Amino acid sequence: MIRRLVGGDLAWAAFILGLAVLFGLGQHWTLVRVSFKGELTSYLDKERAARREAKFQGVKTISLAQTYEIFQQGGALFVDARKPEEYAELHISGAIHLDPWKLDMEGPRGLEGVEKTRPIVVYCSQVQCDASLKVAEKLQSLGFSEVAAFLAGFNAWDQAGYPVDTSK
Amino acid sequence: MLIQVPNKPKTENRKPKTPLAARLLEIALGGVFLYAGALKHLHPQEFAEAILAYQLLPQSLVGTAAAVIPWTELAAGLFLIFGLKRRSCLLILALLTGSFMVVLLITMARGLKIDCGCGLFSSRQVGWGAVLIDAAFLVWAAVLYWWELPARGES
Repeated sequence: MIRRLVGGDLAWAAFILGLAVLFGLGQHWTLVRVSFKGELTSYLDKERAARREAKFQGVKTISLAQTYEIFQQGGALFVDARKPEEYAELHISGAIHLDPWKLDMEGPRGLEGVEKTRPIVVYCSQVQCDASLKVAEKLQSLGFSEVAAFLAGFNAWDQAGYPVDTSK
Repeated sequence: MLIQVPNKPKTENRKPKTPLAARLLEIALGGVFLYAGALKHLHPQEFAEAILAYQLLPQSLVGTAAAVIPWTELAAGLFLIFGLKRRSCLLILALLTGSFMVVLLITMARGLKIDCGCGLFSSRQVGWGAVLIDAAFLVWAAVLYWWELPARGES
């Protein structure tokens, strides 16, 4: 009896899955099509750029080379917008931790004595994350005028072999 | 002479009633997956990026997975909330969480530090925390399925 019941359940489960497949393919056909054509990465890059353009207007972004140049010049404050445990494990040398959640809850702690015109570079893990843009936008709205988001993020910095440390 | 036919017990042809606690747990589980599915459905590109980060599927299939998984969660969650084909929905959710468990363990074994893309209340990195949450949902669905079987213990 149990076997018959489970068989019936599986048949209905397959039917519900079939419905989900139909609706899913119908709703997101563009995504499915570009993926089949092997153009998914460039499509996602374009979509991400468009989304950020609309959402984070006015936030300056910088490349890995520009970030390293600023780092070498000294004087800039580096802000790590990743999760606290990621920051504790490894971060760009001299960076302080300030993620979007912490910034919303506690305000710009750690930036009390920082001049509003001091260059600030905000980063998160990788190009896909938005945390650096969120923090950079918030800092700009708080009056910091020289804020830039380093979009390639910590992963690119670490892979390039640039200075990192674990100290706070 | 009037022959009295013994009354059949009223419950004989009825399905056994699901206890209220089980229904509430089903509605809660359905709600969680409805919410997770809706978030992924509303942000398909971000979900596709999350799937890509696992580096498990060929790129040509990532779009299909990003399109179908949210609707599977939505359909199973919605059917479960409304009490339609509950055991089948629980099987689907157990299959989803079981498969995701395998994906999480493979990703941990490969040492990838990526966001789990679970679509729940906050972002979470792939690790034991995500595995524990996934295991809880798997057990939740499996226990409810067992609870829903009318002839449990007979076989």
